[in-house]
Amino acid sequence: MKLLVCIKQVPDMESRFKPDAAGVWFAETDLAFRMNEYDEYAVEQAVQLREKLGDGCELTVLSIGPDRVVEAIKKALAMGCDNAAHIQDPAASGKDPWQIASIIAAYAKDKGFDLIFTGMQSQDRGSAQVGVTVAELLGIASTSTIVGFDYDNGTITAKRELEGGIKGVVKMKTPALVTCQLGLNIPRYPTLPNIMKAKKKEIAAIPVADLLNADSLATTTSFHPPAKKGGGIVLEGDVADQVDKLIAILKDKTAVLR
Amino acid sequence: MEATRQIYWNVGHGVVIPMYILAGAAFGYLAWGFWQRLPIWRQGKPLDRWDRYDERVKRMLCEVFSQVKIFRVTDGGVFHALFFWSFLTLFVGTLLVMFQADFFTPLLQLNLLSGEFYKAFSLVLDIAGGLAIVMLAGLFIRRFVVQPRGLEIVRDDYIVLQLLFAILVTGFLIEGARMAATELQQNPELARFSPGGLLIGQLFTTMTPGTLLVTHKILWWVHFALVLGFFCAIPYTKLRHIFTTSVNAFLAPFEAKGYIATINMEDDTVEQFGAAAITDLTWKDIFDADACTSCKRCQDRCPAYATDKPLSPMKIVHQIGELAEGNPAGNLIETVSQDALWACTTCRACQDICPADIEHVNKILEMRRSLTLMDGAFPGDEVRTAINNIEVNGNPFGLAYASRADWAEGLDVKVMAQDADVDILYFAGCFASFDKRNQAVARNFITICNAAGIKVGILGKEEKCCGEPPRKLGNEYLYQMTANENIEVIKGYNVKKIVTTCPHCFNTLARDYQDLGFDVPVEHYSTYLKALLDGDRLKLTPEPFNFTYHDSCYIGRYMDIIDQPRAILAQAGGAIIEMAQNGYDSFCCSAGGGRIIAEEKLGSKISEARIKMATDTGAPLLVSNCPFCLTMFEDGIKTGGAEGQIRVRDLAEIVAERIEL
Repeated sequence: MKLLVCIKQVPDMESRFKPDAAGVWFAETDLAFRMNEYDEYAVEQAVQLREKLGDGCELTVLSIGPDRVVEAIKKALAMGCDNAAHIQDPAASGKDPWQIASIIAAYAKDKGFDLIFTGMQSQDRGSAQVGVTVAELLGIASTSTIVGFDYDNGTITAKRELEGGIKGVVKMKTPALVTCQLGLNIPRYPTLPNIMKAKKKEIAAIPVADLLNADSLATTTSFHPPAKKGGGIVLEGDVADQVDKLIAILKDKTAVLR
Repeated sequence: MEATRQIYWNVGHGVVIPMYILAGAAFGYLAWGFWQRLPIWRQGKPLDRWDRYDERVKRMLCEVFSQVKIFRVTDGGVFHALFFWSFLTLFVGTLLVMFQADFFTPLLQLNLLSGEFYKAFSLVLDIAGGLAIVMLAGLFIRRFVVQPRGLEIVRDDYIVLQLLFAILVTGFLIEGARMAATELQQNPELARFSPGGLLIGQLFTTMTPGTLLVTHKILWWVHFALVLGFFCAIPYTKLRHIFTTSVNAFLAPFEAKGYIATINMEDDTVEQFGAAAITDLTWKDIFDADACTSCKRCQDRCPAYATDKPLSPMKIVHQIGELAEGNPAGNLIETVSQDALWACTTCRACQDICPADIEHVNKILEMRRSLTLMDGAFPGDEVRTAINNIEVNGNPFGLAYASRADWAEGLDVKVMAQDADVDILYFAGCFASFDKRNQAVARNFITICNAAGIKVGILGKEEKCCGEPPRKLGNEYLYQMTANENIEVIKGYNVKKIVTTCPHCFNTLARDYQDLGFDVPVEHYSTYLKALLDGDRLKLTPEPFNFTYHDSCYIGRYMDIIDQPRAILAQAGGAIIEMAQNGYDSFCCSAGGGRIIAEEKLGSKISEARIKMATDTGAPLLVSNCPFCLTMFEDGIKTGGAEGQIRVRDLAEIVAERIEL
């Protein structure tokens, strides 16, 4: 059985985002990168299945991006993936979900993957389109936002998160694709022997030009912080206090009392 | 009449050969007993504790004969020390008698045991015997009547106490019987120098000479048999500590306190990191179990044990011993339990007080290493998050690494990347950088340095967690990753001296980093400020205040910095009211050992227990000099309901307020 898990390296959400020079995406200075949270659930689920199925099973991790994404790939390998494909693309952040999905589909189409795992969405762009589009392009079944997963002899039973806290259960035959949501599992912390083993695992480097066959359908025209609005202040305490505070503010911040 | 006595009186020289044969057999049995334990100890991994031989011997002799470690706790300690010295005196006296009778007299025709020396000898031995009995009685009452909390009663306690008591009593009985027959009437002048025998001798005065001789002979053999029994019992009972605890004073490490072996991350032949089984520990770790006397001093001082967590350092040492002896293939971590292992704050109170030089903390850390590096285990999900945060942003809060220097905005501080011409590099650490309460400490420290004309640099966003919490939680991989990044950055600047306000950063940079090839001098601000004051670079205007002082574990016990912060506070006008647990006896705040990033889910809160000790002094102010302590105490004051009763402030805040302008 062949498994694929697709991951993205994203900036840590606590980072300070600034627009890049063109103003269409964020600049990468001062950002800390990590594996997309939802992709960690995907890797964990894929590794759990890989372990359950044993030696007859092969798990590949794929990531598209510049050289820095190798760090995320190494983490996935340390978590238990067998081998990796790094689709080298310094301009990956400028590509829309359609192009990203096309690249993955081009990579996967003749590899015969029985099951593909992706995150439900990325933390930075958050389109939630890549996984399901890959399934569409490959012509295989898919289900999104899974919070429960079971596999038995070619049949996937997935619990999905629906609107309003409702859960649904989906059964699919392989080949199939699932996108993973928070609550599916707790991603493992790689053990040191596995980190060391991961260093020796093969990471196939594939230039994106070899796989890219689609133009973008949507373009990002602007990336900017929300316009700043003046903050409000609520004065508290008894009336005399409030008056004192108000006068102090008027003196301090305005010219009305001068 | 000459002051001496006839050795082998009544029993005759005919006993000499059987006596030596039996004694030889007893010593053989003793040696065999320890020989049998060799394979148990040898299950552990190799460790070199045979270097610096002379220093080790000297240390062993000092520790054993001075009983200095025993004396640190008077309860039990005084009895033990006095018993030890008196029993040792009796042993030396007996050896002297042996040499006299079997070597000096036949070979040299010399009688040492005569005249004034014999009188002094008799008196000293009688006093020693009496003292030993009284001390033994004290120990007996303590164990069986008073029964201090945590002091277990086991089979050995009955055997050992009764055996020693019987040896001492029969010794006096023989002396009494001999004196009744040869000294009480014949040489009353000499008998006065054996007050014990003089008193006991009265028991025998009514006996007929024939009965007396037989009684004496029987008593002599009984006493002799008991003494042989004593030697035979050494390896098989708690008496083994006579050997093992003494040897442990020889084996104790010479490395700086808190040293733990740095794992070689490049070695991919290693299959097990840390200790999951007995065989993953060192032979010394197993030997330690035999050196333990179950005095439970470690347990008495353990902050986790004191707050009802499932950790007793003594129990862990015992469990290692039991596994090594009875079930070497058993699961070490399951036996000790994860909860016990994670509960340790690495405060070192156990190891510091141990009279047997047992190394508790590293055993726990090695087991944590296995949990973390082999199983990817965490004490809780909050720790998993914090560790991930350190990996990504270099701080446990998960805040943007690029904002690490925000606290210093508007201060006269240089960021090294822009200007590295500084007197000191201030390694702020995560808490001073990101935690609001501790940012105030950092700012005050800069104010003080500015007043003293010190040019301060910081690494800003180039600084990362020093790696201490991960390392103490067993995550050597993350520790080395972040440590190596820090080292590389610092080496890029010509740094003369590093000062920290965090004792954990201090210990890690100053000691742990040495194994990673780092040798820049590192100082904690407690001693740095003291030096500024002593050198008149900094002057304070004293302002009176009452306070109590908390010794951070990693400043006091680990770094022996006890007096300097107190001296600074005195210079600032402070009048100290000490807690009972101060200096080397200080009680942890709860945040060491990586616990700073873990929630305290078991038992009661350590910080509240410490705040209670502080409020008990009546002082309105608690001063500390560690960001972890400050954080825990701010919390403990709130949750322990001590608000309004006591405040906690940092040393830097007190000093900054009193700078003479």
